[in-house]
Amino acid sequence: MAELNFDGDGFLTNPEVWNDEVALQIAQADGIEMTDKHWAVVRVIRNNFNEKGNAPMIRTICKETGLKLKDIYELFPLGPARGACRVAGLPKPDGCV
Amino acid sequence: MYWYHYLGLAALVVFAVAMLWHFLRLIREGNPKDFSKKTGNLVKAEAYAYTTAMMPNHKETAYLHIPTFTAGALFHIGTFISILLFAVFFFISPAQFPLWLSRILTVCILAGAACGTGLLIKRMVVKKMRDLSHLDDYLSNFLTTLFQLFTILYLMLPHMFAPVYYIEVTVLLLYMPIGKLRHVLYFFAARYHLGRFYGWRNVWPPKK
Amino acid sequence: MEKLTTEQIDKALHLLKMRPDSKLETHLNACVHCGLCAESCMYYKTLHDDRYMPARKVELVAALYRKYCTLIGRVAPFLVNARPLDEQMAEEMTDALFGACTMCGRCVKHCSIGVDIAYVVHFGRRMLAAMGLVPATLQATVDAALQTGNNMAIPTADFVDTIQWMEEDLQDECGSEARIPLNETDKNILYTLNPREPKFFPLSIAALAKIFFAAKESWTISTDMYDVTNYGLFSGNNEHAKSIAKRLHDEVFNKHCKILVLGECGHGSRANRWEGPNYLQHSYEFETITAVELINTYIREGRIKLDKSLNQELVTLHDPCNLVRNGGLESELRYTISQSVTHFKEMTPHGIDNFCCGGGGGQLAMSEYNERRIAIGKIKADQIRNTGAKVVVTPCHNCVDQLIQLNNIYKLNVKIKTIAEIVADALVLE
Repeated sequence: MAELNFDGDGFLTNPEVWNDEVALQIAQADGIEMTDKHWAVVRVIRNNFNEKGNAPMIRTICKETGLKLKDIYELFPLGPARGACRVAGLPKPDGCV
Repeated sequence: MYWYHYLGLAALVVFAVAMLWHFLRLIREGNPKDFSKKTGNLVKAEAYAYTTAMMPNHKETAYLHIPTFTAGALFHIGTFISILLFAVFFFISPAQFPLWLSRILTVCILAGAACGTGLLIKRMVVKKMRDLSHLDDYLSNFLTTLFQLFTILYLMLPHMFAPVYYIEVTVLLLYMPIGKLRHVLYFFAARYHLGRFYGWRNVWPPKK
Repeated sequence: MEKLTTEQIDKALHLLKMRPDSKLETHLNACVHCGLCAESCMYYKTLHDDRYMPARKVELVAALYRKYCTLIGRVAPFLVNARPLDEQMAEEMTDALFGACTMCGRCVKHCSIGVDIAYVVHFGRRMLAAMGLVPATLQATVDAALQTGNNMAIPTADFVDTIQWMEEDLQDECGSEARIPLNETDKNILYTLNPREPKFFPLSIAALAKIFFAAKESWTISTDMYDVTNYGLFSGNNEHAKSIAKRLHDEVFNKHCKILVLGECGHGSRANRWEGPNYLQHSYEFETITAVELINTYIREGRIKLDKSLNQELVTLHDPCNLVRNGGLESELRYTISQSVTHFKEMTPHGIDNFCCGGGGGQLAMSEYNERRIAIGKIKADQIRNTGAKVVVTPCHNCVDQLIQLNNIYKLNVKIKTIAEIVADALVLE
């Protein structure tokens, strides 16, 4: 497995090495047990990142997973950015997150 | 008047001119222009900044540090009395002071000098204070504490200590404008700017 | 660090040498090194590192001032600690002024003398910015705002989609007359958002729209320029801060609105309400107020009706530094809370003495210093825990994000809400 590099916030700085195993590892550190719903969110984020190079809007995540906003905040208590995007192996988004 | 009186007087003039230069520079530079819309009351905020804001119950640096705060206050009181006496000595020799007055003044100034010494020791002993301090900090305290001690000695034994008292005062007065003792001016300027900042935004005076 | 070029040094020293007014001069001359500020600073209290005492931060800039702007500093640098601007100095400044200060101003309020430490820290950041030494992650946030118009680089189509989604939710609850009007002109209010809302946490947009609906307000959001944040305030690059502030200023004219209302964002409110006119060097021709003041006015004037029994859980309030200690909204916030919730408990200390969440001053954007941010946040976490509150209300999205993290790490088990959200929960629609 390639070496994982994290920034000070625990976001991957080399997102290309990300795989499901890495996701499990980050999730575990956050105390998250990955369920199908978690994976669905992570897949949407990852696909968006692969296509557009950034994190999707929460709107996109809800639309594509069929989950409600509330569900996502519950699945990832740290929120979509520090929670879900981190598990999905994205670099840290700019701004107040 | 003896030679040492003239020496002290000359130092006082130099000190006054130097501090006036500092003061005029501030006046020349002027207030920052603030284009934002003011919501508070500057007069009330300034009044608060110079008075209540410095009370021990309003300032954490006081109520979390009662011993240091008290020592600092006594040290300053000792200094103010000594400065006042320096002015008085040009008109009345300490030899003419009634004994009871000399004794009261001695006790007050001695308390100040003791606190000054305590603060100097704290500065040397406590690591975080040592790391924060430079030669100027030690020298400023030392010259001021010494000033108080010599004021006491001059009060008690005027004939013996007159020259050395005036020499000490001269060194102190000449050093003041270049070291941190110039806070005699910048303290008031800082409180002015702080009162203005908080007053403009309606933070000071506090609402409760 | 890399060797500083003469050009870099000259740019930084130029700022120092052309002190525009007596304020900087005063604050660089006033510190007496009493050291009592240490215990007022979250960094010192938590990390016990002498270098993070507020006085030491001032000392860095003051040492340069003495070296380059005073005679005694040139003649006898050892006497007054006059230091040259070199790599060592730049490194220390970056670490202490960017990495160990939220510019919360708590030390300022308590300083024995009255030194505006946060102002000096900001000036130090300006010198670092002039040398191009802004931490990369903070600069990236500024760049995103400069290049795309919002600090999260949200494309307009995505933004519109999110707003429409929130509008549908709102209409499900309040009927089809409730709207989130986009790009309308000649309205009373131009409302602004923290990009974090549309991107990840849009419920606060719906909450405010509900309040606007109840108050029958005439308002709009511009898709061209809705970002209330201005990280130029933290990066220390006033040119960047100016261009970001100017865009929002100009948008009020573009949309022919009367009042610019700043969304629940502490630094954004400060940057536009208090600093913006100074960046632009003229007073604003329209009224600029924060969402906190607006909601407060609605309640006082009876434009919205609240039933505080709808909020039964114990609530505490986190005072954002830029709105309270540096913005004067202490009593406005308390009035709004008192009308919106049944049970309220203050933190100790609170109001203008409150501790920062730990994420201010751009810390939340700077991954470089993440560990420190979480460490100092323990003070806030303990404050919250000690109230026993179930809900923490704070009118700042930056604070919200830091609090979400603290909630998770320090296991506080609280809900974190904005003012709009708690007020919307108590709202009685007629």
